[in-house]
Amino acid sequence: MLTFATLRERWPSFAGGFVVLFLGMAMVSMSVLALASAGARVPERLAGTPVFVSVPMAERGDGDFAPDRPWSPETVASLRERLDAIPGVAQAVPDRTFYAQPVIGGRPVAGDRGYAWSAAMLAPYPLTAGAAPREGEVALDRSLGLAPGERVSVLTVHGPVTYPVSGTVDGPGVYLNDAEAARLSAGVRAIGLVTEPGADVAAVAAAARAVAGGVVLTGEGRGALETREDERTRWIGLQVLTAMAALSAFVSVLVVGSTFAVGVAQRRREFGLLRAVGATPRQVRRMVYGEALAVGVTATAGGVAAGALLGPVLGDLLVTVGFQPPGFAVRWSPLPLAGSFAVGVVVTLAGVWSASRRAARVRPLEALREAEVDDRPMPRGRWIAGVACCALGLAAAAGAGRSDGSDAFVVSGLVAAMGVIAGLALLSPAVVPPVARLVSWPLARGRGATGMLVRENALTAVRRTAATATPVLITVGCAVLITGMVQTTAAAFAEVRATTIRADAVIVPDGTPGLTDAAASAAGAESSLFSGLFEPDGGVLSAIGATPELLERAGDVQMVSGSLDALRSEDRVLVAQWLAEDRGLRPGSTLPVSFEDGTSATPTVAGVVREADADVLLSRELLRRHDPVALAEEAYVAGAAGPPGPGARVMDVPTYAAEADAEEDRLVWIATVLLVVVSTAYAGVAIVNTMAMSAAGRVRDLAVLRLSGATVRQVLATVAAESVLVVLLGGGLGLVVALPALLGMRRAFATAMRADVPLVVPWPLILGVIAACLALAACAAVLAARPAVRRAAPAGAAETRWRRGPRSG
Amino acid sequence: MDREETVRLRAVRRLYGTAAHTVRALDGVTASFHAGTLTAIMGPSGSGKSTLLHCAAGLDRPTGGTVAIDGTDLGSLSENGLTLLRRERVGFVFQAFNLVSALTAEQNVALPLRLAGRAAPSGLVRAALAEVGLADRAGHRPSGLSGGEQQRVAIARALITRPAVVFADEPTGQLDTRVSRQILGMLRGLVDDRGQTMIMVTHDPVTASYADRVLFLADGRVVDELTGTVTAEIVAARMAVLEAAPC
Repeated sequence: MLTFATLRERWPSFAGGFVVLFLGMAMVSMSVLALASAGARVPERLAGTPVFVSVPMAERGDGDFAPDRPWSPETVASLRERLDAIPGVAQAVPDRTFYAQPVIGGRPVAGDRGYAWSAAMLAPYPLTAGAAPREGEVALDRSLGLAPGERVSVLTVHGPVTYPVSGTVDGPGVYLNDAEAARLSAGVRAIGLVTEPGADVAAVAAAARAVAGGVVLTGEGRGALETREDERTRWIGLQVLTAMAALSAFVSVLVVGSTFAVGVAQRRREFGLLRAVGATPRQVRRMVYGEALAVGVTATAGGVAAGALLGPVLGDLLVTVGFQPPGFAVRWSPLPLAGSFAVGVVVTLAGVWSASRRAARVRPLEALREAEVDDRPMPRGRWIAGVACCALGLAAAAGAGRSDGSDAFVVSGLVAAMGVIAGLALLSPAVVPPVARLVSWPLARGRGATGMLVRENALTAVRRTAATATPVLITVGCAVLITGMVQTTAAAFAEVRATTIRADAVIVPDGTPGLTDAAASAAGAESSLFSGLFEPDGGVLSAIGATPELLERAGDVQMVSGSLDALRSEDRVLVAQWLAEDRGLRPGSTLPVSFEDGTSATPTVAGVVREADADVLLSRELLRRHDPVALAEEAYVAGAAGPPGPGARVMDVPTYAAEADAEEDRLVWIATVLLVVVSTAYAGVAIVNTMAMSAAGRVRDLAVLRLSGATVRQVLATVAAESVLVVLLGGGLGLVVALPALLGMRRAFATAMRADVPLVVPWPLILGVIAACLALAACAAVLAARPAVRRAAPAGAAETRWRRGPRSG
Repeated sequence: MDREETVRLRAVRRLYGTAAHTVRALDGVTASFHAGTLTAIMGPSGSGKSTLLHCAAGLDRPTGGTVAIDGTDLGSLSENGLTLLRRERVGFVFQAFNLVSALTAEQNVALPLRLAGRAAPSGLVRAALAEVGLADRAGHRPSGLSGGEQQRVAIARALITRPAVVFADEPTGQLDTRVSRQILGMLRGLVDDRGQTMIMVTHDPVTASYADRVLFLADGRVVDELTGTVTAEIVAARMAVLEAAPC
């Protein structure tokens, strides 16, 4: 009875909690829906084939996208033979893919995958015109607009090749004759079993399982065949979505908590009265929980419904930005929505926990007390928790600063932000008032009334000042910390590249995923190839194929033993120090490995290197012969660089150093800005909420001001100026907290990298955040106070005393 | 005066503040309040009359001495036990802020019963409101009631549990003279007709004149007592003496 009556009567004071829960749970349910939809999908080009046999898949750690070891050519041949023999199988088709990117009008087109012609039947993509490609011919996607008989230039790993078009198909990709494709392809990792019409798929799968040497995939299980790039994109998306959902839930707890804390403070008299007429503390606590649940359940239900509706929009957005692979779509399912709803309820209960305890502690005598003095010291538990959270956050920030950007960067950045947020929010009642006293000191010196009023109001209304300054402090602090961290990290890596590259120019891909051999060797340029080596036990080693001259010039290899000249010999390799120590390798040992094409070799270890970008260094020619698909990421030119041909361009070294990780940096930056925008939005809600809630308590003060001769304009100016002061205070504190942490990080970078790392903070973004908070706070304060000021007739003071219990706080 | 004692205070002391700066709000008060009487507690500002009321009602715990209501020693009760005792045996009427603003008059009156987990029959609640003359205002919220009406709702709520004693703290402090008289007449009637025990704190001699007995407090002690015929003039005269006394 009391719960719903209270809600009906006091809905404005619950509005902030409602809005935040609504937004937060919409965000959570959207993210959770997207997460639930983000499982591996069967690639479209393989969808028409019911059964696949794939290489055994190794267990990999989170964020590890190393490929699985391909079959050797002999194994492929024998598997094919045995799978072909299964009754009901029309053909066993090895899935061969390679790099093939048509160049039309001088520009490489968007698709860069080539397939063996037989793989077209896995989708299946039937011919729409012409015939299947013979040796030296190509069939391709009809949407490219080429007709059979025309000629097309295609970039392959070796360089541009001109093919006559034999036919077009109704699907993406470039198709070469099987024999030619086999020469360009990496090792086979999957064989599709195209079944005869009416064949029993289950029986085929069972028979395939009996053929040793692979894993049989059917139905949704074929999702495991997605490309490593898609898998990586999905993983990044997962990180971002998890961060958004966690941030939303976290902020919701904080704002719901503060909404109810202010509400309880304003209603002390009411709770005292209830206690006086016989409510036990338990009953009071239950009442506060009841109110919170009523608000929480409604807001969560609305938020989850909105999230469900907006889910597909978020899905499209994620694909556009690059956080999900193309073809990703959000699917509705009841479980994530039910889960989000449960999260909302738990968040509400967690948020209101402290407020309900405080309400229950109100003593019956407080119903009688005239003045409400709000000067109780902060409880010790809060001190401890606040300091602990700050420490945790700063430790995590340092950890994030040490990460190289590829590991779970978003998560550790988030932990840092959350720790500092929680710590400062907890400590704010102790920290904010003395600082407010300090910075508003000049206001007390002026002659006008406004300055004095602004200062005294901000100082006496501790709760309001802290409640307004805290979200600004949190947002600005986190924004500076995280964005500064991201940009400083990027700048540090750029700086290191710029100082270590010894070349006159760099050839980089232009509209292509990498450089063909032709482009990479244009004008005498030199390049390295990055690939993987597979150990007999299934482990994957990273490998760089390069010439001694190139490694010399790149300048980042330090020899422990042996010499770079070993790479001139095809059966010798250099190994990284950790690998040598781990496997007990020394010069003269052998390292049995197999390559990307599935073939095996046993090269001799010729030396050990200290700092290398890969586990194993070997000759470029050797690597190229065994990895026909690797593309160079860049090529270094000594002297003047000529035109590198299609799909590549020349850059000077400083520009290259600054842009090298542009794509990765772009995704991290988008994720960061997203987090900043979302937290600013939440801070805005919290500020508006505080202003709206404290307005009721200020009615009497403002009426007294009016009675003392202040004009409406003067009163509103005072209110606005006070909110501006408090927001600036919060923003300033945020900067003061974040900048030293950033500077410390910068110094750590500089030491570790032996380079002069600049401190980069995106000031326009930070100033934008502060400006948004300023505008919101001033508008909300004025709008909330205006009705009270307007109707503050002389009777106002006495009247409100009767109508409303709570006083200004 | 041979009726049973409903409320008994023995050597009650109440100190406030720190060791360095102690305020003796009550300094050894012993007093008995008998069933079916209306007692007024008077005294200058700071004499400790409100503290006396709070201690007697179990809203505040004395620093020393004992308080018993209906034979139960309040000092032996836990916070929860005190709450239950207040709920069952004690009613309150305060000067202001008496009602929960979100609830209607009827709901406010039913509140103590509901808090106790008891049934609050609509008939009973409406009868209680009718008794204070508000039968037609049952559905109004406090914001729609005048000050006098709010106090009458508070009285109805105080009586709904049939308490052993009702405490009133300046029950007419916020009301004009005419409405004050109505309210005080109503309280007097409850004592006379139903034998309700009532203890009332006031600083107004006219209000005190409705009582059977007046206790005068100064500096935390009972300094005078008036029984028999209590008139506003006699009370005012005694008060004048107290207020003129050197501190």
